Amino acid sequence: MTATAARAPATVVRRRPPPQVRRRRFLLAVAQHSLLIVGAIAFLAPFVFITLTALMTTNQALSADLWPHPFRFRNFIDVFTTAPLWRWTLNTMLYSCLATIGVIVSSVPVAYALARIRWRGRNAAFVIVLIALMLPPQVSVVPLYVMWAKLHLVGTLWPLIIPNWFGDAFSIFLLRQFFLTIPEDYLDAARVDGCGELRILFTVVTRLAKPAIAAVALFSFLYTFNDFFLPLLYVGEASHNWVLSIGLAQFRSLHQVQWNLTMAATLLVMLPVIILFFLAQRAFVEGVTLTGVKG
Amino acid sequence: MRKRTAAAVVLIAALVVAAAAAARNVHGTAPARNAAPTKLTVWAGWSAGHELKVFKSVVAEYDKKHPEVTINVVGGIDDNKIVAAIRSGTAPDVVSSFNSYNVGNYCGTGGWIDLAPLMKKDHIDASMFPPAPRYYTQYQGKRCALPLLADDYGLYYNKKLFKAAGITRPPHTLSELAADAKKLTVRDKSGKISVAGFDPVVGFYENTPDRWIQAYGAKWLDAKGNSAIGSDPGWAKWAKWMKSLIDWYGYDKLVRFQAQPIDEFTPSQAFETGKLAMNFDGEWRVAFIHNEHPDLDYGTAPMPVDDAHPELYGSGYINGTIIGIPRGVKHEDQAWALVKYLTTADHPLAVLSNGLRNVPTTQSSLTSKEIVPDKHFSTFLKIFAHAKSGTSPILASGQAYTNSVQRFFQQWQAGKVKDLQAGLKNLAKQLDAQVAQAKGGGGVP
Amino acid sequence: MTDQALGRAGARAPALPLRTAARRRADWRRRRLVLFLMSPWIVGFTVFFGYPLVMSAYLSFNHYDLLSPPRWVGWANYHYLLRVDPQTWIAVRNTLWIIVFAVPLQVMFAFGIAVLLARAKSGGGFFRTVFYLPALAPPVAATLGFVYILNPATGPVNTILGWFGIEGPLWFQSPHWSKPALVGLGLWGVGNTMVIFLAAVLDVPQHLYESAELDGAGAFQRLRWVTLPIVSPVLLFAVVLGVIQGLQYFTQAYVAASIASGQASQAGDTLNALGYPEDSTLFYPVLLYQHGFNDFQMGYASAMAMLLLVVSFAVTLVIVVNSRKWVHQAAPR
Repeated sequence: MTATAARAPATVVRRRPPPQVRRRRFLLAVAQHSLLIVGAIAFLAPFVFITLTALMTTNQALSADLWPHPFRFRNFIDVFTTAPLWRWTLNTMLYSCLATIGVIVSSVPVAYALARIRWRGRNAAFVIVLIALMLPPQVSVVPLYVMWAKLHLVGTLWPLIIPNWFGDAFSIFLLRQFFLTIPEDYLDAARVDGCGELRILFTVVTRLAKPAIAAVALFSFLYTFNDFFLPLLYVGEASHNWVLSIGLAQFRSLHQVQWNLTMAATLLVMLPVIILFFLAQRAFVEGVTLTGVKG
Repeated sequence: MRKRTAAAVVLIAALVVAAAAAARNVHGTAPARNAAPTKLTVWAGWSAGHELKVFKSVVAEYDKKHPEVTINVVGGIDDNKIVAAIRSGTAPDVVSSFNSYNVGNYCGTGGWIDLAPLMKKDHIDASMFPPAPRYYTQYQGKRCALPLLADDYGLYYNKKLFKAAGITRPPHTLSELAADAKKLTVRDKSGKISVAGFDPVVGFYENTPDRWIQAYGAKWLDAKGNSAIGSDPGWAKWAKWMKSLIDWYGYDKLVRFQAQPIDEFTPSQAFETGKLAMNFDGEWRVAFIHNEHPDLDYGTAPMPVDDAHPELYGSGYINGTIIGIPRGVKHEDQAWALVKYLTTADHPLAVLSNGLRNVPTTQSSLTSKEIVPDKHFSTFLKIFAHAKSGTSPILASGQAYTNSVQRFFQQWQAGKVKDLQAGLKNLAKQLDAQVAQAKGGGGVP
Repeated sequence: MTDQALGRAGARAPALPLRTAARRRADWRRRRLVLFLMSPWIVGFTVFFGYPLVMSAYLSFNHYDLLSPPRWVGWANYHYLLRVDPQTWIAVRNTLWIIVFAVPLQVMFAFGIAVLLARAKSGGGFFRTVFYLPALAPPVAATLGFVYILNPATGPVNTILGWFGIEGPLWFQSPHWSKPALVGLGLWGVGNTMVIFLAAVLDVPQHLYESAELDGAGAFQRLRWVTLPIVSPVLLFAVVLGVIQGLQYFTQAYVAASIASGQASQAGDTLNALGYPEDSTLFYPVLLYQHGFNDFQMGYASAMAMLLLVVSFAVTLVIVVNSRKWVHQAAPR
C-alpha cells in the first residue's frame, strides 16, 4: 500500500466508533472478502480445469469426468513428440527477442528527441505517433502483405521482425512520458561537463531510464509472444516457421480428439510468461503504472 | 623448331576446342545423372492417419524408380496455404487440393499453369478422364489441373440398428429416409438424443447444399448463366424437407448432439461408434471403417432422392482431389513427369484407390485388375458411373459462392429466414453479384 | 532569453554578432541531431504506415488478387461492401456490440476488483496475483482453454451446472451465447487494467476519505464522490484503450470459431468456419481477413480497411474531444 497522507495533528481525535458503526464496518469487510474469495475461485478455476484435463488420458478428456483417473503426467512429454513444440518455441524466441531489441534500440532515441529536445514540429510529431497508436493494424495490412510478398519474404519471420527496428508507437509513448520526468538538472550537469547530446543520451539518460526501458522490453516481449494475427498472415503457410501461438491454434486441428494433449500444450505455452512474471514482478508492476497513472 | 612449336600449339588448341565441344554436348543431351538429384516438393491435403501414409508410399515408389529426383511430401495443406504460397512466390513444385471450387481462380489467373501444352506434347487426351472430373479440372478452356482420384457420396446405414428397428432395406426416397430416421432415433430420459437416426443439419460432417442438391436434380445456373437458386423449385423443396426433419428433432437438441466429441476424421466419428444410424458420407469412409472399426455391421447404398424424381436414384454428387503445377515452378519437366504418372498411370491410381478407397479417375484404371473388390466400395463405383451423377459448377467467384450458399441454409435451418422464396431470390442475386465482382477485375481474362 | 534550449555545450553570454552565427550553427547541429535520433521512426512511419495507408486507398478501387495485376473497378468494391454483401453489416454490428457491451463491462469489473483489493488489508498481495495471472495467458491459449471448458456436452462448466439441475447453454456452439462467452473470456483477462486501477485508487489521498467520513458519507458514497472522480482520467484511458482494442478484435474470435466449429484438418471442406456459429463471432477484422486472404479479394479487403480507418478515426476523435467533458478535472498533476 502506498503511503497515506500524514495525519493531521491532534485536533482530529480518533474516538472509538460506536458499536453500530463497528458492526456495519465488520459486515462490509466480510462481504468484501467473500466477494474477493468468490472472484479468486472463479479466476483460478479455468487454470485448475485446464491442468486437470492435461493430466487425463485421451478417452477421459472426452468424457464429462472432472478428476483424472489415473494421473497421466506423461502427457507433457507426449506433447513434444506429437508436435514440434521446440521448433515453435525457437521461432517464437527468435521473433520476440529480435523484435524487442529492435524496439528498444529504435524507440529510445525517438522518445528522447520528443521529450528532451526542443524543436519545431515536436508536438505535431508526437500527435502523429499517437495516431499511429490508435489505428487498427488491419488498415495497413493488405499493402504491407503485398510488399512483403513481392520481396519474397512471406513465409519467413522477417516481415514480423523488421518493422520493430523502426520504432514502435507504444514504446515511444511510454518512454517519452518517462523521459519527461527526468529533471533537467541532471542533463545540464552533464552538459556542463562537456558531454555532447548523444553521449548524454547513451550514458546518463539510459542509466536513469532503466526501469522504463525494462518495462518497454517486457511489454514488447509479451506482445510479440502473444501475437497471432501477424504471424497467421505471414508464416501461416510455412509450418516450419510457425510460432507458438499459431502452432497451438493448429494443434487442435492436427490432433483433434486429443484434448488432453491440447490442454497440456496450452499450459506449456502459458508457462514461460508466468515464470517471467514471477521473476520480474517489479518491472511488470512499474511498467503497468507507467502506462496508466502517468498516461 | 618454331614449326614444331606452332604445330604443337595448334594441336593443343584443337584438342582443347574439341574437348570443350564434347563437354558441351555431354551436358546438353544426356540427363544429369551424375549431378545431385532434383528436389521436388509436393503439397497434398491428406493428413489423417492412413491417408497420408498411402499417398507417401505411392510417391516413394516413383521416387525409387527415378533416382534423378527426390520428393518431399507435405500433408495437411488447404487452399489458403496454396494461395498464400503462390502469391509470395514460395510455391512448391506440385500442389493438390481436395476440391475443385477454386479452379476458376487458379486457371483464370494462371496461378496453376496451363497443362494443355504439356499434355499435347505427351499425347494425353482429356477424354481419358470421366466426364465429371474432366469438367471440374478446367475453366473456360484452360486446363490447369488434372483429377487425382474422385469422391462421390452415398448413404451409410447401420445394419444392426436397422434390424433392431425392423427396417428391412435402406430408404430410396427422401420421405422414406425421414420416416426411417424417426424410427431409429433413441432419446434418453432428459430428452437428449443418444442415437440419431439421421442428422440433416447443414455443416454437420459432409452435409453441404451442393452435395445434397443432387438428390433433387436441381440446377445451379439457368440457360443464361445466372444463378437458378431462386427459380429452380428443387432448392426450396430440399430446404423444406430438411427443415421439417430438423424441427422434428429440435434444432437445439441436434446442436447439442453434435457438440459431443464425435470429430469426423477420428475413430470417435458418430456413425462408426453407433451414435448415428444413417449418415450421408463420401466413399472414403469405407477405408476409415476398415481401419478403425472393422467389426461394424453396416451397408452402403446410393443416396435417397426426391420422391418426384425416382429416376435419379443410383446417382450421386461427384467431386475430387485435383493436382496441378503452380506458377513459378523451377523444375517444370520433373514436376510434370510426376503429375502425369500419378494421374494417368493405372498402377498409382489403383494403389491409391485401394488404400484411400477413393474412386480412380481414368476410364482404364476404373476397371484395373489391381483394384481390390469390396462390396461396400463397389456401391460408390456404381454411383460414379451413373449417368445422372453430377458436380458443382466452376465459377469465377471460386470458393466464395459455396460459402454464401451454405451460410444461407444454415440461417434457414436455425429458423432465421422468414420468407424462403424471397431469401432464395436474394441469394441468387448475391451470387450473380459475386461472380460479376470476381470477373470485373483481375480474375478471369 | 534562456539557453536551456539545448544542444549547446558552452557559451552562455557571448557578444552579439558572434552569438547569431554561433546560434545558427547550434540550431543546425540540433536539427541534425534530431533528424538522426528520429530517423528510424521517420523511415518506419513512412514505409510501414504512410505508404500502406495510401496504397490501401488505391487498392480499394481495384480488383486485386495478387496473382494478376490490379484492375481498376472504380466504386464497385464499395458498392458491394455497403449494398450487396450480407455479412458487412453483421460484422459491423458484432464489432459495435463488443465495443458497447464488453468495454464498459470490463472497465467496471476491473474497477470493482481494484476497489475491493484496495480495501482488503489481509492477503491483498495473494489476491492481486490471482486476479492478475490470467492476463498473462497468451490469447490463443486462453481461448483454447475456454472453448474446452465451455464445451456444451462434456465441459466442466456445464457438468457442474448439471449437478444443480441447470442445463447449461451451448456456449460457443450457440449464436446467442458465443459473444457472451467471448466477453467472459475478456473479463477473465482483465488483470492489466485492474492493476492500473489499483495503483490509481491507492493514490487517492487518505485525508479526502477521512473528511468525507466526518461529513457522514457511507462507504458507497465515499466511492461515488471521492474515489470515482479522482480516478476518472484513468478510467477514461482504459475505455479508450478498450475501444481501440475492440476495433481490432481478431484473435479470440478467430480461434474460438475455428475450434468450436470442429474445423479440423482434412481441409477438403470449404465449410466457412469463421464467424461460427451463424456469423455470431464474425467481427469486422475477421471478415476483412477472410475476404482479403481466403477469398482472393485484396482490393475488396482494402475497401473494408478504408471503412475501418474512417470509423476508427471518428471514434478516437469523439473520445478525445469529449474527454474533457467526462473527466473530472481534479487536483493539478
